[in-house]
Amino acid sequence: MVRVTGRYDIDAVRREWMGRKTEVVPGRYPVEYDSIRRHCHMVEDTNPLFLDPQYGKQSEWGSVIAPPVMTRYFAGSGVWPPSSDEGVSLLLQVPTRGERNINLNTEWEYIRPAKVGDHLSSQTEVIDIYEKSIKLDPRSVWIKTEMRITNQDGELVAVGTNTLCTHRTPEQVESEEGERPL
Amino acid sequence: MTTKSAQNSVSTEQTYWDDVRVGDLIEGYDLTLDWTKMVEQVSGSQDFYPVHHDPEFAAEAGHPAIFYNTGWTQAALCRVVTDWAGPSGWMSKFRFEMRRMNIPEDQVHARGKVTGKSELDDEHGLIELEVWLENDRLGVTTPGWATVRLPRRS
Repeated sequence: MVRVTGRYDIDAVRREWMGRKTEVVPGRYPVEYDSIRRHCHMVEDTNPLFLDPQYGKQSEWGSVIAPPVMTRYFAGSGVWPPSSDEGVSLLLQVPTRGERNINLNTEWEYIRPAKVGDHLSSQTEVIDIYEKSIKLDPRSVWIKTEMRITNQDGELVAVGTNTLCTHRTPEQVESEEGERPL
Repeated sequence: MTTKSAQNSVSTEQTYWDDVRVGDLIEGYDLTLDWTKMVEQVSGSQDFYPVHHDPEFAAEAGHPAIFYNTGWTQAALCRVVTDWAGPSGWMSKFRFEMRRMNIPEDQVHARGKVTGKSELDDEHGLIELEVWLENDRLGVTTPGWATVRLPRRS
């Protein structure tokens, strides 16, 4: 996020940034076993559909598939080496009051599975920007984006919307509003 | 009402649309958020934003503690659905709201409930679920909603 310390014009930001979208960007790597394994490890998921190649091969999907919520992960470039993730870059360019952020609402429609070996791509668009008062910051800025994910055959795999709340630190709020939050 | 537990290796059981009733409970599973689990959430999600692993950074931002990230949260909710749905079930829609935080030392319980049922075609039907994470400190922290496509028996 680009923190604006002076006058912040939410209407101008909306006019300039809503509707902006990235190119269709391929994920860095194909859907792969080990990332799925680490994902499952987080929540002690032992589902063989996600972890066992033999089981996956015999399933109706014909392959190990990624848990649906991992679709976004494989459509991205990851954090290392340093990212050229255009969706993230687009989000980081939106002017906001604070640089701190909290991911809030996420909504996905999953059209078809992402199978091991698939190569996913994504396109992200800023679809809404608005202000909202929260406990941490009376004038936090919320950014809503839509991401469309396709596979190597151009088939739509998933469509997701995400709402990010950006806010200032308590010190920044006190300095700019004259009153400390919380 | 019936329950179906995902705690013990039921991931390969198929749930059929015909057998599901509105009001059925999904027993789900439990997780203890110790510091090893914190490391696993960073590893599994690849989310290295310090508010999820650096207590000082979290405090500076005004949070009482580090809190578990979006990747971990959606993985936890997704597992409730995919364990329950079985290998031929498909979670076609999913949303959730991170209303309150799950933090180190919390005991988290992942649960679900059937809230709706409708026909789709001769081979499949749709089921609406509420799923949620709750912890012993705050109760429900993360409500979620899913639509699942299930096979029909005949």
